[in-house]
Amino acid sequence: MKVSIDVKRFDPEKLNENNWVQNYKMDIHPSSTVLDALIHIREEIDGTLGLRCACRASICGSCGMRVDGKAKLVCKTRIEELVDEGETLLVEPMGNQPVIKDLIVDISAFFAKMTQVSPFLQPDELPEQGEFIASNESMEKLLTEMNCIMCGLCVSDCTILEVDNTFIGPAALAKASRFVYDPRDDQTEERLNFLNDEQGGIWDCTRCMQCVEVCPKGVSPMDRIMDLRETAIEIGAKKTHGYDHTNSFEKSVTAHGRLDESRLAFESAGIFNIPRLLDLIPVGLRALIKGKLPPIFPHKAEDNKKIKELAKKIKEME
Amino acid sequence: MYDHDLLIVGAGLAGLRCAVEAQKLGLKVAVITKVHPVRSHSNAAQGGINAPLTDRGDDWKGHALDTIKGSDYLADQDAVEIMSQEAGEAVLELERMGVIFSRGDDGKLGTRRFGGQKVARTFFVGAITGSALLHVLYEQSLKMGLQVYEEWFVTSLIKHDGAVRGVVALDLKTGELESITAKSVVIAAGGAGRVFEPSTNALICTGDGLSLAWNNGAGLMDMEMIQYHPTTLARTGILLSEAARGEGAYLLNSEGDRFMEKYAPDYMELASRDVVSRSEQTEINEGRGIDGNVLLDLRHLGKEFIETRLGYLQEVSVEFLGIDMAEKPVPIRPGMHYIMGGIKTDVDGETGVPGLYAAGECANVSVHGANRLGANSLLDTVVFGRRSAEKASDYVKSVPNSVIPTEKYVKRDLELIKNIMDSDGKYRVSEVRNKMATAMTKGIGVFRDQESMEYAKKIVDQTKIDYRDSIKIENKGKVYNTDLLFALELGNMIDCAESIVHGALTRKESRGAHFRTDIPGRNDDEWLKHTLIYKGLEGEIKIETPDVTITEWEPIERVY
Amino acid sequence: MKYAFYPGCVARGGTPELLSSSMAVLKELDIEIEELTKAGCTGAGVLQEKNPLLGDTINVRTLAMAEEKNLNIMTLCSTCQGVLSQANHKVKNDPEYLAKINDLIKEEGYEYKGTTDVKHLLWILVEDYGLDNLKSHFVKELSDLKFAPFYGCYMVRPSEALGFDERPERQNYLEQVIESVGATAIDFPGKFSCCGFPVLFINQKNSLKMVSNQTGSAKDLGADAMVTPCPLCHLNLDGYQGKARSNNRGDKADLPIIHMPQMIALAMGIETKDIGLGRHIVNTKEILNKV
Repeated sequence: MKVSIDVKRFDPEKLNENNWVQNYKMDIHPSSTVLDALIHIREEIDGTLGLRCACRASICGSCGMRVDGKAKLVCKTRIEELVDEGETLLVEPMGNQPVIKDLIVDISAFFAKMTQVSPFLQPDELPEQGEFIASNESMEKLLTEMNCIMCGLCVSDCTILEVDNTFIGPAALAKASRFVYDPRDDQTEERLNFLNDEQGGIWDCTRCMQCVEVCPKGVSPMDRIMDLRETAIEIGAKKTHGYDHTNSFEKSVTAHGRLDESRLAFESAGIFNIPRLLDLIPVGLRALIKGKLPPIFPHKAEDNKKIKELAKKIKEME
Repeated sequence: MYDHDLLIVGAGLAGLRCAVEAQKLGLKVAVITKVHPVRSHSNAAQGGINAPLTDRGDDWKGHALDTIKGSDYLADQDAVEIMSQEAGEAVLELERMGVIFSRGDDGKLGTRRFGGQKVARTFFVGAITGSALLHVLYEQSLKMGLQVYEEWFVTSLIKHDGAVRGVVALDLKTGELESITAKSVVIAAGGAGRVFEPSTNALICTGDGLSLAWNNGAGLMDMEMIQYHPTTLARTGILLSEAARGEGAYLLNSEGDRFMEKYAPDYMELASRDVVSRSEQTEINEGRGIDGNVLLDLRHLGKEFIETRLGYLQEVSVEFLGIDMAEKPVPIRPGMHYIMGGIKTDVDGETGVPGLYAAGECANVSVHGANRLGANSLLDTVVFGRRSAEKASDYVKSVPNSVIPTEKYVKRDLELIKNIMDSDGKYRVSEVRNKMATAMTKGIGVFRDQESMEYAKKIVDQTKIDYRDSIKIENKGKVYNTDLLFALELGNMIDCAESIVHGALTRKESRGAHFRTDIPGRNDDEWLKHTLIYKGLEGEIKIETPDVTITEWEPIERVY
Repeated sequence: MKYAFYPGCVARGGTPELLSSSMAVLKELDIEIEELTKAGCTGAGVLQEKNPLLGDTINVRTLAMAEEKNLNIMTLCSTCQGVLSQANHKVKNDPEYLAKINDLIKEEGYEYKGTTDVKHLLWILVEDYGLDNLKSHFVKELSDLKFAPFYGCYMVRPSEALGFDERPERQNYLEQVIESVGATAIDFPGKFSCCGFPVLFINQKNSLKMVSNQTGSAKDLGADAMVTPCPLCHLNLDGYQGKARSNNRGDKADLPIIHMPQMIALAMGIETKDIGLGRHIVNTKEILNKV
């Protein structure tokens, strides 16, 4: 199969014109992966191409890159699934991380964020002999997070990290959840309180699902972050706008069946948070003028009592 | 110029386990690694880690015998005894560090069966045991604030006044060469799978540690013992864990028969790996294969079972071959996987060269002898990784604080690098390597004979010349120059290939993985010995054949 | 063609112009709808943070309502689309969970069997109605206009819940519809990006940066307006554009944001008051001039 690949290159040792797109053409096995093609380039066409790769079997996490704008592990990305013969594929380094050379990015910030969440077991005491007793179910549940190979794809395409690099990020938060839900760890509350912090913690995620989409191992970091939010609320960590927001939402839906937007905005700002409330005024005014202000008496779903009953039933179940 | 008590080359399981122990013992320790620790090839181990837990009715001697029989009686039995005795605590320690081992109904560690053993004593995490262990050890290294020289490539050891006192290394990110001194060095840089083509090993497994040790006076033992794993995926060569067979998968030929009945009627698919690989290769050679493969059948295990206990295998099969293991059997064939041979060490990692230790796949204690049992490698790394730390911590007490004149060593390596960078021959490094690796697989394969081994030697000799005279380096830069890196790695691979070929030609019998069709029997009278290859100062090869240490288990016929 | 209609909360609240323009379009196309007046809010992913079971239950109840009527659901909002699809996908693949939810809603007389399909108006127009049929209702060509498409996260991720395996072209429908009205669809790299609405009340700084990045880069690429099928995206990109742009790029809110049905209504020559372009925060006069 004839393949054409554009690679975004960067050579830090060039004084000017140090980044460019270089095209490579080759004829390779039809089932080849993007990594097969890149290795072919490196071995037979252009020995200056820089990229990281090792296992070729999607377990080491080295070969994360952006292919046609989306983060992928190139060792398991088949070319024929992306382009037809004659079309060109674009390969770029992962996003949200500085480029060292060509497709090689600086991963130190990624691992520094991992370290921030204390990613090691912290039991209060070790068993006197033998192992901790734990159910197989509890260990199997952790397999989802343990499958994380620290490839960085989630971080590459995270839309919050694009605008704010103080966010701890999907990978570190998914790793943190692995310890929060490990029955042998005794720092659950401390971990949740740390992660619940407004500065760059679990509430900074915008639920855009990029990390879920790109994760090659099914870790689904955003879902892990949502788990953490739920658990944080359960243990009583409530002093966040995130909590206010979701709490107000729940109250509104339970009461009316539908969303009371004005009240939501109000309560999410925090009913005692004067600066935030004042902040809402210009927006509210503009909406009022344009006739977009949600009604003071919100729309209700017909028969909304039923939803209230459902909510009650669910609460009793827990 | 930096200074440590202990510098560990390699951040895989053996290296990190050694580091964690060394730090606990109060040593100033650092790890130097050419890839980030979690990228180390330990993460590719899938199936599990063996341990006889004596408090639960298992018998360490049972594991020892299985291991020794598996090794075709080439393993040094005193070393195996230690490994079997310490295995239980080693695994429990890992669990206490946080590994999410599978459990039985009683909430204690659960087991699966594995090759070469009748008792189920393999502890596991799905089909990602290696990765799970490596990540937990990495977590522990973060917890203790381990210093890591990340993405630094060791170009040579510093041997000063007869003792190893550090390394010279290339910082890949800047291209700068520096010296790092230490009172002792542990080599834990893994195997040399890339000396063969194809191989299940990652591209980084280039025998760097083996070469470093060999060039500084250590001996490489039983290098001819190359393990071909029975179940590597067709076309891509990716590993499919023995765990599949441990959980009950069948091996079928083109006629749909479970052919292992003919070769190992007792253990069937769970015979030792060399036996299974040879059986498969025989079926293929005799026309009962399918396009050079046989079939691994898991259909009867059911989809849910496969996806929980063997999830990663299903992932690989679906992603790389488009085959759902619950629906269709998977085409597989033997592939080069592991090197039982390695740097000769005693049970404490001592190589005989003062200040130099080795542990993990690059070392040969010998516990695996002529064939390694599945799930014994992970065990080997943590037991002997830990023991090396203990021994080294003792040794460093006797090493005086002195300043080593490192400039000359750095200068020597700068010359070496300059020569490589200036080379403008006609072959790319990859071309030279591919030619050698293909020849090695052909000549030192599942079956070999005098002719094939001499062919391999001939190609290796030619490769040495090509490497010296005819390679070209296209990348003339300093930052992350992989062209240069590959050239340096190729040098190491050639050393490994050379020792393998010499070992293979030396052993005049068939034992374990070294199966000579021209001398097919095992010869305990003359060959209950190791092959031990040394490289002299002028590059001359010296071969010795020390006896195997027998304690309790006299060699008998090996039948599965 | 008939659908069970689920307008979502915001269409009746902060973006009434979405509802009015959609109604006008549906009337013109003769697409019949029956509103699910008893259906509750999908939860938008926010409810699910605190009470995932309640969210799934309310959504499965909505799905059951449509199933009872033997109709598929039409949504007007990317977020409703996504959340309902995710709930649908989840229970279709987890019979135990579905049984648990059915147990909760059976008192009201509902039981979901898993046959309802949820489709955004955008998908319905392309898949069920057909672009050629749609075009036959157009009286104006918006050939002077350049639109930047903005799908909204919930309409494009996660792909397995949205049926992209069978219909990967769903990731291109917005451009197709833009082109069908005669306008140019700008090759906008941020089309699948996030508008920042979910973190508006939580981290306004980040939310505004995202609004600024998306609207600013679309404007830089020459867009006359941004078209979006999600009213929540609309609220953020329109309502907060002024503050976002001045804080981050130091320029003004100059990119009108229009709802997808409004664009169609323009092409159909529908009365301006029904389209509700006057309700937008960022002035849409420029667009009307170019029609």
